[in-house]
Amino acid sequence: MDFWILQAFNGLTFAALLFLLGGGLTLIFGVMRVVNIAQGTFYLVGGYIGYTVISHSGNFYLGLVASCAVICLLGIAMETFLLRDLVNDDLRMMLITMGVALFFQDLCLVVWGGNPLSIEVPKYLAGTIRIGRINFSTLRTFMLGAAALLYLALWLFEKKTRVGAMVRAAVDNAEIADGLGINVVLVRMGVFGLGALLAGFGGVFGCAFMAIYPGLDFELLPYAFVVVILGGLGSLPGALCGAIIVGLADNFSKALIPELSYFSVFAPMAIVLAWRPTGLMGKS
Amino acid sequence: MRLSLHVKVLVFVSAAFLCMGLPTCPAWAAAKEPIKIGFIAATTGNFAEFGGGMVKGFKLYLDEINWTVAGRKIELIVEDESTNPAIAVTKTRKLIKNDGVHMVAGVFLQNSGYSVGPVCEEAKIPLIITNTGSDDLTQRKRSNYIIRIQWGAGGELGHVGANYAFNKLGWRKAIVCAMDYAWGHEVAGGFQQVFESLGGKIIQKVWTPINTSDYDPFIPGLNREADGIIDVITGAATVRFLKGLKASGHKWQVMGPGQVTDETFLPALGDAAEGVYSAFNYSAALDTPGNKAYKEKYQKKYNETPAYSAALNYTAAQWIVKAISAVNGDVENRDKFLKALRAVEIPDSLRGPLKLDKYGAIVQNQYIRKTEKVNGGLQNTVVETYPGVTQFWPLDPEKFMKQPVYSRDFPDCKFCK
Repeated sequence: MDFWILQAFNGLTFAALLFLLGGGLTLIFGVMRVVNIAQGTFYLVGGYIGYTVISHSGNFYLGLVASCAVICLLGIAMETFLLRDLVNDDLRMMLITMGVALFFQDLCLVVWGGNPLSIEVPKYLAGTIRIGRINFSTLRTFMLGAAALLYLALWLFEKKTRVGAMVRAAVDNAEIADGLGINVVLVRMGVFGLGALLAGFGGVFGCAFMAIYPGLDFELLPYAFVVVILGGLGSLPGALCGAIIVGLADNFSKALIPELSYFSVFAPMAIVLAWRPTGLMGKS
Repeated sequence: MRLSLHVKVLVFVSAAFLCMGLPTCPAWAAAKEPIKIGFIAATTGNFAEFGGGMVKGFKLYLDEINWTVAGRKIELIVEDESTNPAIAVTKTRKLIKNDGVHMVAGVFLQNSGYSVGPVCEEAKIPLIITNTGSDDLTQRKRSNYIIRIQWGAGGELGHVGANYAFNKLGWRKAIVCAMDYAWGHEVAGGFQQVFESLGGKIIQKVWTPINTSDYDPFIPGLNREADGIIDVITGAATVRFLKGLKASGHKWQVMGPGQVTDETFLPALGDAAEGVYSAFNYSAALDTPGNKAYKEKYQKKYNETPAYSAALNYTAAQWIVKAISAVNGDVENRDKFLKALRAVEIPDSLRGPLKLDKYGAIVQNQYIRKTEKVNGGLQNTVVETYPGVTQFWPLDPEKFMKQPVYSRDFPDCKFCK
């Protein structure tokens, strides 16, 4: 029993990280209609910035905030200067995001070097919480909670606020939304920034419990794609479902039949796509 | 007459090929020409830190001799293999055909070693491997043109680690936790063979895919009855695995190849590395006069902590220079030079005495290191020295080469449940 609880917990925490990565990707796809190859890069750069700020200031939360802010600005700048003029030309937009990803990959290597870096977390986050006979990692629990709160906030924002309604309108039909006086350009910029921010947030946590290193961006990107495709492109609840399914499937297959883990990530995606080509919650 | 684009391209390409084919240095000028060493290393991409270390270490030694041996200048041409054996092959061809190098040295990746080897053999150019394992290049696929002067064979590290774990740490039951490709198979297979020949038992084998991003799922399933884990999860992944192991509150001891607690990972590993044992031919904490002097020189020139690959390539440069001076600079006489390369002995290198076995692989000290906190920082303290370890030690070479290459299924896991 302990084994199953612990494995489910591991799976869910990995899902939280995947959600932070995939959630941003799906938000960006929703309004921009572009598959953002640089999403993994946002995660990586976010982690590096978090590392630098935390190792200089010693304050974990300051690092988290700094990383989110910088990555958000980076996303906004990318949208404004590189993508805005190419809206509706998705192939060129995708190639530009690819270019940005490659550029930052080498930049990171120059600035932070090739060694893996890991963040010192505050003492109260570093240990384990003991419930019954099982040790849960405090940091993982904390991240799980933070991701859940973030999801709730995003969901409320999208469903209950006026700005959220504008975003939904822009996702459904940008032209009509524009005609109704919604500033679609601003919405796109904001959502791109928000999507990037999620990845930066994930990067800091990822850096703390899995370390970051060159190449991690493209290592995690397939996971993010699977999450988003599984859940349906552009759907936030879809990204959540996708992340949970991939997180658990990946975890249990590794724990029970390690040989299968090469393929366990992609199997759920293939099954879901055969049954629902638009993903679990995607619109056709 | 206006040439069509096709014709222009064709002319350009054939001209380029013609140039590549031309001999770059006429034989009569040989004595005055510099000696050209082609150097393949992963200077960009994932392994840039280690690949860069190779070049820096190599150059550091050449600086010392002022880039001159036996009256001839040395010219070093560095090419980047990135993380791709195909690139390594292209660059090697370029070094041999365009630059007309007298020898090729370096090579970082295991699979690059296996693909560069035949290229050099075909061109009859000596290949001096200074980093990668590629065990079989000096075993079943050995060649007159290839020598290996690096950290030894993958299996060798496993052999030494198993001996120490059984005899000194008193392990009787152990778990294999290794990356699922040639490198993991070789170290873990070597460990198992020696461990079980001594009377130990491997009771579980866990092969982790190379691209694993989260190791925690593997950890709760590890057998609690074992005394220790042979850990061959290396590269950046070592940080994730050892941290996860530490967080699980385990009681196992851990033994791995030196790459598991390489000095460059120690800051990121932190407490998770404390108490981990590893087998390797070098430690930055090694207490020899040569090592002390080398570290000072390195610090002075580059102002950073050297990666393991720098020390290895420092001695590699020393080796090559010795061979060149033994033939009095006449590297054009290839047979003589190849013989000289194999005859080199360095009794007082920074990591102990070095020589080659008759198969072209290095015979050297292997050290068991224990990662400890000293003065606030972590270091790999040497706790045991195994002198004169060959690539087969302690097994019989002929018998060893008759058995299959270490793999997922060899040796077979007799005691697994």
